[in-house]
Amino acid sequence: MVLCMICALVLGLLYGLSGAEWGLIDVVSRHSDLILYLLMFFIGISIGTQRGIFSKIKEYHFKIFVIPIGIIVGSFVGGVVCSLILDIPVGYGTAITSGLGWYSLAGVTIGSLANAQMGSIAFLSNLMREIASFMVIPFLATRFNSFACIASAGATSEDTTLPIILKYTNEETVVMSVFNGIICSMMVPVLISACLKMV
Amino acid sequence: MDVIIIMCLGILVGRLFLTPRIKKASETISVMCTVLLIFSMGVTLGGNENFLDELSALGFSSLLFFLVPTALSVVIVYLLTRKMTKKETGQERAGE
Repeated sequence: MVLCMICALVLGLLYGLSGAEWGLIDVVSRHSDLILYLLMFFIGISIGTQRGIFSKIKEYHFKIFVIPIGIIVGSFVGGVVCSLILDIPVGYGTAITSGLGWYSLAGVTIGSLANAQMGSIAFLSNLMREIASFMVIPFLATRFNSFACIASAGATSEDTTLPIILKYTNEETVVMSVFNGIICSMMVPVLISACLKMV
Repeated sequence: MDVIIIMCLGILVGRLFLTPRIKKASETISVMCTVLLIFSMGVTLGGNENFLDELSALGFSSLLFFLVPTALSVVIVYLLTRKMTKKETGQERAGE
C-alpha cells in the first residue's frame, strides 16, 4: 500500500519534470478536486455503513478535542524549537508548523504574508508531513496507538491520509480522524495569522 | 467546506441505502482515488520549474520543520490518549 503511494508520487514527479503532455494524465491532474470529492463521498459511505459508530462519539464527549489540541500544541512547540535551532524569528517558525500538514494553504499564505523563502519552507515541510504520514501510520498503529496515527496526519486526517488510517486502525478512529481534520483545518488560517503577528 | 458536505452526503447514502457489505468496495475506490490524488500532486510539483532548486536549497530547514513538530505532536497525543485506550481495553476485557 505505502509502496504504491510512493510509486504514484515518484511517477507523478517524473511526469511533471519531463514536461510531457498526455491527454488522460493531464485531465486527471487538472481535475484532482473532482477525485477528492469522489474520495470524500466513498469515505462517507465507509463511515455510514458502519453500524453503531455514532453512539461511540457520544461516549467520548470533550475527549474528541484532546487529539487536535495535542497536535496544535506539539506543532507550536516544534515551531519554537526549530526557530531557535535555525535562528529565525519564532513567529515565522510557528507559522510554518501551524500548517499542520496542509501544505498548499500554508505555503501560499505564508509566502504572501511573510516572504517566498518562508512560504517554500512551509510548503515543503508540510508536504513532507503528509507524505511521511503514509509511511509511519502502519508503524504508529502497532507501536503506539491508533490516535497517534491521527497526530502524524494533522489536518490531512480528514482527506488524503484517511484511507490509510482506515486500513490500519478502525472505523471509530476514522470518525475521530475526520473530526480532528475538520478542527485542524479550521484552525490553520487562524494560527498562521496569529503566529505571523508575533514577528 | 464542500468536501465535508460531500462526505456527509456519503455518510447519509451509506447509512440509509447501503449495507455493510458495500464497505469493502468503497474502501477499494477510496484507495484508488488516493493513488490518483498523490500522482496528480506529484505532477503539479514536478511541473513547478523551481521545484528541484527549492528542494535542495531549503531541504534541511524543511526537514527540521517537518520532523520536530510531527514527532512532538505524536508524543503529546499518545501521552494524552494513553488513558483513553487503556480504559477501552479494560472495558473490552471486562466484557469478555
